[in-house]
Amino acid sequence: MSDFTAVAKTSDVPDPGRMLVEVDDRLVVLVHVAGRYYAIDDVCTHDGGPLGEGQLDGFTIACPRHGAKFDVRDGRALTMPATRGTVAHEVKVQGDDVLVRLRD
Amino acid sequence: MAEAITTQGFTREAFEAFLESRAEPGWLRDLRAAAWADFERLPAPSQRDEEWMRTDIRLFRWNQFGFPGDGAAVSDGAAEALLTAGVQLGGQVLAVDSRPQSARIDERLRAKGVLFGSLDELVAEHGDLVRKHLFRAFDTQYDKFAALHAAAWSGGTLLYVPRGVVVNEPLHMLSALTPGASDFGHALVILEDGAEATLLAETASSHETATGLHCGAVELLVGRGSRLRYVNFQNWSNGVWHFAHQKALVDADGALQWTIAALGARLAKVNQHVALVGAGAAAQVNGVMFTEGKQHLSYHTLQHHRAPHTRSDLLYKTALQDVSRTVWRGMIKVDPAAQKTDGYQRNDNLMLSDHARSDSIPGLEILADDVRCTHGSTTGRVDDEQIFYARCRGLTRKEAVRMVVAGFFQQVFDRITIDSVREALGQAIGRRIREYD
Repeated sequence: MSDFTAVAKTSDVPDPGRMLVEVDDRLVVLVHVAGRYYAIDDVCTHDGGPLGEGQLDGFTIACPRHGAKFDVRDGRALTMPATRGTVAHEVKVQGDDVLVRLRD
Repeated sequence: MAEAITTQGFTREAFEAFLESRAEPGWLRDLRAAAWADFERLPAPSQRDEEWMRTDIRLFRWNQFGFPGDGAAVSDGAAEALLTAGVQLGGQVLAVDSRPQSARIDERLRAKGVLFGSLDELVAEHGDLVRKHLFRAFDTQYDKFAALHAAAWSGGTLLYVPRGVVVNEPLHMLSALTPGASDFGHALVILEDGAEATLLAETASSHETATGLHCGAVELLVGRGSRLRYVNFQNWSNGVWHFAHQKALVDADGALQWTIAALGARLAKVNQHVALVGAGAAAQVNGVMFTEGKQHLSYHTLQHHRAPHTRSDLLYKTALQDVSRTVWRGMIKVDPAAQKTDGYQRNDNLMLSDHARSDSIPGLEILADDVRCTHGSTTGRVDDEQIFYARCRGLTRKEAVRMVVAGFFQQVFDRITIDSVREALGQAIGRRIREYD
């Protein structure tokens, strides 16, 4: 298990909003919604689309390619054409910093 | 460890310094300058492009790498050649980080007019020949990587076989990369009418897990009635970014057997293109891929039938482990003039892990009305019943999986007529198979 890595300042991401960050050679979407931060892989499990460019609606983010929706809190796939969830990573806030720990 | 001396980043200043460092004829300098302008003009590939949709290069940093340096030869850059065991070679060309190290050719071949050596060095003596053929098959404006290659190619290999000359002994080239360095090798193979040759090309890293950049190209110009066997074994470390445009032009009644084996690279994006430009031309294309870890290999093949009575036969076999990913996108294109075409393409994928992913996208684009073109694609796991059967016969699970994987690749190995290549690939694949329980 890797360690927590600081990826952004709390002020970098508006609420609601998202930001693409790089952790250990991996692209991760950092989402700020309802006062909390979440992190999921920037990969739609359907066709590999870039989730970070998708539309954010509450806790739901939609892949820009085919509209598959995922829950940003746990990566769960909510609608077709995605059937498998994407990976959700651990996030914590320490002072001004948002830290992410990758889950394999 | 000797570090490669490169100018960091692909900036105009770095390009001008690179150009200055090379004593090259005017036509070549102009060509490089035009390609550099294309590089500056062309956008970086986007995930919105069909070709790059499944291949994410957002983590590739252009400024992490640089032009091949002109510094001293690297002392610690040797990589082991795998394809040459037990082979009587007719010649050998070695390069490290796109810099020529050594070249030799059998005296009898030289006497017949065969040229084999570093393209960099031969361009000085045989400028007219190189000028006539360089980039004849290669579209320097295809994308940003193609333009960068045309501007920065360095080292490389030239094989020229004059009319009617048959080279029986295989020729060998090995390009090595040291950590953090760039390889811009260009292989230019010219077979005049009725010539024959076999070329074994290898790329390898001097250090395991080292990062690096390959932005290369291959041009195979197969003349009328000539025969070329070309083997391309990509065995970089799993940290190398590999971008390549590889193209063959096969003239009337010429025959090409082209085998690609890819085991290495962090991410590979290759366009392999065979154009059958003369009546009766034939090409057999073989692909062997075996991936592990987080590797991503993306191969885009085109079998372009531009003349009547041409034949092409493509077989790509891939086995995937861990969370690796492969993309094969193949097209058979038949021009209106190419009646009586016989084209085939097939891609088989063996999934050795639940988390690997393989995209297989065959395609046909046929503009003639009297042709036979077929294609197929299969993707599957190791059959549990086969494993159960093998274990009943006293094999361990690992032995059984190895046997199934070996059997999977046998079909493509059967088409490779060079023993040393078959053995080297079999061994390299054998070493990589994990323990499965």
